[in-house]
Amino acid sequence: MDNIHVLIVDDEEDLAKTIAERLEIRGIHTQTASDGDKALNLIKSQPPDVVVLDLMMPGIGGLGILKQINLLENKIPVILLTGYGSRERSIEGMNLGAFDYVLKPCNLDDLIIKIQEAIKIK
Amino acid sequence: MNEKDIKFIGKITAGVTHELNNVLASIREISGLMTDILSITDEKSFPRKEKFQTSLGKIQNQVQRGVKLTSQLNKFSHLTDNYKNDIDLNELLEHLIFLTERFARIKNVALQNQSINQTITINTDPLRLQMALFNCISYLLNQTVIGGEISISPEKKGKECLVSITYKGEGINKLSIFKDSTSSDELLSLKSTMENLNGVYELDASNTAVIIKIQSNK
Repeated sequence: MDNIHVLIVDDEEDLAKTIAERLEIRGIHTQTASDGDKALNLIKSQPPDVVVLDLMMPGIGGLGILKQINLLENKIPVILLTGYGSRERSIEGMNLGAFDYVLKPCNLDDLIIKIQEAIKIK
Repeated sequence: MNEKDIKFIGKITAGVTHELNNVLASIREISGLMTDILSITDEKSFPRKEKFQTSLGKIQNQVQRGVKLTSQLNKFSHLTDNYKNDIDLNELLEHLIFLTERFARIKNVALQNQSINQTITINTDPLRLQMALFNCISYLLNQTVIGGEISISPEKKGKECLVSITYKGEGINKLSIFKDSTSSDELLSLKSTMENLNGVYELDASNTAVIIKIQSNK
């Protein structure tokens, strides 16, 4: 998994950084962003293989970021992180082309499987 | 309380449970990271490693418990979203039992969902239906000295839907169970709730049961 690069986008910085550290222990390279602007800048400057994206965020929100990612020339698979009451948004996200979604709090092994599947399809 | 007040409570509760879920997710990941680090740390360089691993496991278990509770509370808060909705009655009863279990446990009473495999869909006010069923259970629990079982059985008869809440055990004196029923807070509340649902309730003293009847509208 040494060559996998994942960007985790969540306004809950502690959560994003901790998931990142756990993925790093498992050999996955990570970056984190806590808002849409930071995320889009990182995606453009250092395109990741997969984006793990929280749906409920201030500003343009997860769906807004997803729409921006869709406009990029090189498609990057997006896995949505969803909480309670986000079911409709998850469906909307899937309709917008997200690869998959996981419920918060997510099982790390499940997330890694989805990351690997996303890369295979990419 | 009017519909706007109820929706306000629902919205605030839903928002708080969403935030609580983020807190639990963070605790889960932080304790998971500590477990990861411990698993790659030499036993000799970390005294009482096993004790830490056991404690981290306990934190994870409590997080799971918290996630289940907040998830059910969030689900409850969304009952206020729509005044009328198509409801899967079996699912609603499962949810009711989860929310009511704590009250039953205090009286050492077990709650049993006797739902049949057949799906029963009704179109009604989900919040008021939960409230009516909760009042039935509360009434029986208040009559119970201690111990026994309360079973909840849904049934569809044509356009009508019946839910029987029945006490089984030695904790209730069948002769006195419904003696003061007219002054019971739970039954007064049940009566007005059933009126709002366009339904009725009945007391069945011989079977120690409260039965509610509403139109399924389906």
